[in-house]
Amino acid sequence: MTAAIDVGQLFELVWAGAIATIAVAISFSLVIIGAARAEDCRRNRRNGSATAYAALSVVACVAFLGIAVFAISVITSK
Amino acid sequence: MPTGSDVILVIVVVTALAFDFTNGFHDTANAIATSVSTRAMSPRFAVAMSAVLNFAGAFISLKVAATVGSGIVDAGAITTTVVFAGLVGAIAWNIATWWAGLPSSSSHALIGGLIGAAFVADGPDVINVDGIIEKVLVPAAVAPVLAFAAAALAIIIIYWMVGRLRPGPVNRGYRLGQIVTGSMFSLAHGTNDAQKTMGIITLALIAHGDLPADSFDVPFWVIVSSAVAIALGTYTGGWRIIRTMGSRIIKMDPAQGFSAQGAGAAVVLTASHLGFPLSTTHVITGGVMGAGAAKRLSAVRWGLAGNIAVAWVVTLPASALGGGLVYAITSAFGSGALGPVVVAVALLALLIVVFARRLAQHRVVAAQG
Repeated sequence: MTAAIDVGQLFELVWAGAIATIAVAISFSLVIIGAARAEDCRRNRRNGSATAYAALSVVACVAFLGIAVFAISVITSK
Repeated sequence: MPTGSDVILVIVVVTALAFDFTNGFHDTANAIATSVSTRAMSPRFAVAMSAVLNFAGAFISLKVAATVGSGIVDAGAITTTVVFAGLVGAIAWNIATWWAGLPSSSSHALIGGLIGAAFVADGPDVINVDGIIEKVLVPAAVAPVLAFAAAALAIIIIYWMVGRLRPGPVNRGYRLGQIVTGSMFSLAHGTNDAQKTMGIITLALIAHGDLPADSFDVPFWVIVSSAVAIALGTYTGGWRIIRTMGSRIIKMDPAQGFSAQGAGAAVVLTASHLGFPLSTTHVITGGVMGAGAAKRLSAVRWGLAGNIAVAWVVTLPASALGGGLVYAITSAFGSGALGPVVVAVALLALLIVVFARRLAQHRVVAAQG
């Protein structure tokens, strides 16, 4: 039975799947944090902080969409 | 003048497309249930988007099509009648689990049906037990556990990061994120599952002698018809399973929905990248439970989760039993087309009765409401 199971591949699936999940969760949460904080800062007329948070949100959004594009390339190259 | 084998081939192709249709409406829930329940998308928009992406996914690659049944049943044991019996066994199981509102793997049902039919046709020697362990049992054990852990990790990180923000923007944000993760899931599902039907029809064409056995070229009409069948099935929507996945296992907020879908998509695509065959049904169900349990263990309806787990365990033997039974009935009418015709007519009658009863129940509920 053990011959039928590729333990190395299984282990790779576990750590790669976990890293991919963490990357998705963190990048999109940063998009939301950046956008929400930027809105709060704008309301309080703290324009410098608002710009910084907006930039964080944009960078995180690019990272999140990059992950999505990579996922599509994984699907199409199967 | 069509021969008996021509008639069997036509029945096999129609049955394969019917399986593809049931796969579409049965597994639609995997991709969109959490998006619907958190109101990230309206139900109609969600199924339409999923249908389009399932249709598109069917055209993307053909590599999975060539692997259907390989390493599990000896290629020499695959005849048009075995394929037909396997498909009927899988359809019957899909309908039964849809009726019960339980998400189960259509791919496992198809594999089980083929195993049962081949077993009855040629005996145990044509079944590759190592292949079943490697391609079915190990992935079935790994998928939900991994997705459960990944989604739990994701929701813990998300609550830690956004816990002090106002809930309004947070909920709106994760609803938007669910559109992306739901789309990924639908595309991955279309790529994987529509190809299985293409593979089955191509196997039948090879067994019938219409295509050369030494190469596995999927005809264009097979690609188009499979894509249309799975998209139509998806658009029809398996609302019973969507309800189970979206709101009966846990009541989820948009962040939990995003975690379940995001973790599920990450795990499925990582597995695809590594060539590890995971069921999308097992992954997203594990993800939904993980996203609920990490918030509060009692948030998960463990009784329902237990029923789903039992359905998963029973899928392979039940569909194998169905496939074997159908092969035995078909063979009882001889080697001609009569057996498949009788079984196909019986299956059609069963489907009409099932859907008519479901429609009648909906009318009663609507009249009472």
